[in-house]
Amino acid sequence: MIEALIQALINGVIAGTILAVPALGFTAIFAVLNYPNFAIGALATVGAYAGWFGNTALGLPMVAALGFAFAVAAVAGLLVQWVAVKPLESASALMMAIASLAAGLVLENALRFSFGNDLRGYDLPLLRDWFFGAYRVGPQQVQNFGLAVAAMLLLWGFLRFSRTGRSMRAVADNRDLALLRGVDPVRVSAVTVAVGAGLAGMGGMLIGLDTSVDPLVGNRLILSIFAAAVLGGLGSIPGAVAGALAIGIAEEVSVIAFNPAYRLVVGFVVILAVLTLRPAGLFGARAS
Amino acid sequence: MTILSRRATLVAGSALLAAPSLARAQGAPIRLGTLTPLTGAGGPYGPVMANCVKSVITEVNGAGGVLGRQIELVSEDDQTNPEAGLRAARKLIDVDKVAAIMGTWASSVTTAVAPLCWESKTFLVTVSGADSITALPHHGWLVRTQPNTTLQGRKFGEYVIELGAKNAYFMAPQTPFTQSQLANMKPPIESAGGSIELLIYDANKPSLRTEVDQVMRARPDIIVLGGYTPDTTVLLRDIFRAGFRGKLLAYAYSVNQQMITSLPKDVTEGIYTLAPSPAQGTTAFDRVVRITGNTNPDPYTCQIFDQVNLILMAMAVGGGGTGQVIHDNIRKVSQGGGDRVDNALDGLRAIAAGKKVDYDGASGPCDFTDAGDITDCKFRYEQVRDGQQTLIRIA
Repeated sequence: MIEALIQALINGVIAGTILAVPALGFTAIFAVLNYPNFAIGALATVGAYAGWFGNTALGLPMVAALGFAFAVAAVAGLLVQWVAVKPLESASALMMAIASLAAGLVLENALRFSFGNDLRGYDLPLLRDWFFGAYRVGPQQVQNFGLAVAAMLLLWGFLRFSRTGRSMRAVADNRDLALLRGVDPVRVSAVTVAVGAGLAGMGGMLIGLDTSVDPLVGNRLILSIFAAAVLGGLGSIPGAVAGALAIGIAEEVSVIAFNPAYRLVVGFVVILAVLTLRPAGLFGARAS
Repeated sequence: MTILSRRATLVAGSALLAAPSLARAQGAPIRLGTLTPLTGAGGPYGPVMANCVKSVITEVNGAGGVLGRQIELVSEDDQTNPEAGLRAARKLIDVDKVAAIMGTWASSVTTAVAPLCWESKTFLVTVSGADSITALPHHGWLVRTQPNTTLQGRKFGEYVIELGAKNAYFMAPQTPFTQSQLANMKPPIESAGGSIELLIYDANKPSLRTEVDQVMRARPDIIVLGGYTPDTTVLLRDIFRAGFRGKLLAYAYSVNQQMITSLPKDVTEGIYTLAPSPAQGTTAFDRVVRITGNTNPDPYTCQIFDQVNLILMAMAVGGGGTGQVIHDNIRKVSQGGGDRVDNALDGLRAIAAGKKVDYDGASGPCDFTDAGDITDCKFRYEQVRDGQQTLIRIA
């Protein structure tokens, strides 16, 4: 039993780390633009297809394909922002959220129209797991884990050390003050959306590497991403990572305790509990 | 003056409104609907199914239609999702006023849509297998061309034993047929001294490692996969990674050629599959081959080919284009002897000549019980060998 629990924890940490990548994108957009971008699922799908295309058609190695996925999803994210969301900026955050949801549906169906419903696999050998006594991890999982951690470190460095990154944090902290200090809001919004969507795209590709790519690959993640961001505190960058890890672990460990068919319940229960007990989330200070 | 012109307007308006209904009374088209999964887990099948119906209808319209009326086809997408299926069915019934809906694929969708159909007197023909479907109080408003899970489950159970396995594990998502499939697999396995356990997983989870770990702890010598293509893909990868060396048995609709191509060869090699078999070698089957341009058309396309042919002939026999007519006459063209026909064109000609017809289709003889189940079906046993689905036998 204890072995099962530890194995589930290992699986959960790996699942959570990969989930953290799109959750970071979601929460970054929320922090700076103040609306939940529900196109994030479709953007993850865009990234998964871009990575797949880069890998199988253009022959890119994994890291380059991941960069390609980031770039294509970033462009798609900017399109969603400028075409669907921006015209509704003067309306409420809810309107923007709905616009993003609709844009996500359009993206998803555009992919379906171009690539069909067929499952696509990366040009990668599937390796058997490494066994360590009673425990096992997959080489692909370890690679994905490493790539996800690297992406998060890059994001952290960008936010901490670059001028644009600091402007983004400034706008997230106090928009009015940041504007007074001469931060260009249009540029900051654009960079945030591009980075957020790009991260979603990378997350989609990482999931696709582990499973396969179809038009619903991102859609299946959206509840977990949202639950992770809410748990961590919407708009909190460290919160998104902690939230994603917690959701990843909870989803795996719950399999041992409950019927696995009830996995969806985990996401909803977390959202419900957070909204009831601590609406700001674990790391959120801005949920007033 | 004003009164007069108002009256004139009224008269003119009523005449305009009445005109189409006058036209309708003479030779208005009859509308039929397909509700197949164009997207979602059934996405590989739905578009081919809808196109097949379209071809049949185009051919029949070209020969003058049914009872001198043209047939109009409205195709909707159920997204392999009961909520979306329900919305699409409402549109077909309330807006398009179709006489029949054909082709619902996932059992969950059929279960959701069926009550709408019998309440609105719209005839429903489905390819779903869950036992619970024909047990619904549908009063004859639905039939299916797919064998039910009582039959499918028993075949799976017998095959598990035939493959020499004793300790089986059934992994499946939550569907209306999961429980009855298990219940019907059990007797043949247990009477041979074996056992079978069930794990229900969430079909939307991107990784099923922990679920596979749970199953591996029971050390099964065969895992029976009860899901659809996308979740079975995830599951197969995780089963391979976990180092499982036993046998695998799956529905052929999930482990299909498309999935085999998308996964590395090692993962799918050796998987046994089982599926209701189309009636290969019959003339109706050859027609489906011609229509689809595929030498090995899937069972659902064969089934929907039969569905539309039966509906067209039932309307011709009953002399009308409503759901009620189809309800009352479908068994008069599907069974009970008469001229054997394998397509609606020949059938319509025979009916016009006053003959009784008995349809034998691309999916089988298409004879229905009172509950709406088919009475007979063959199964296709295949194994993935060298990256190809290879036929073992049809029985």
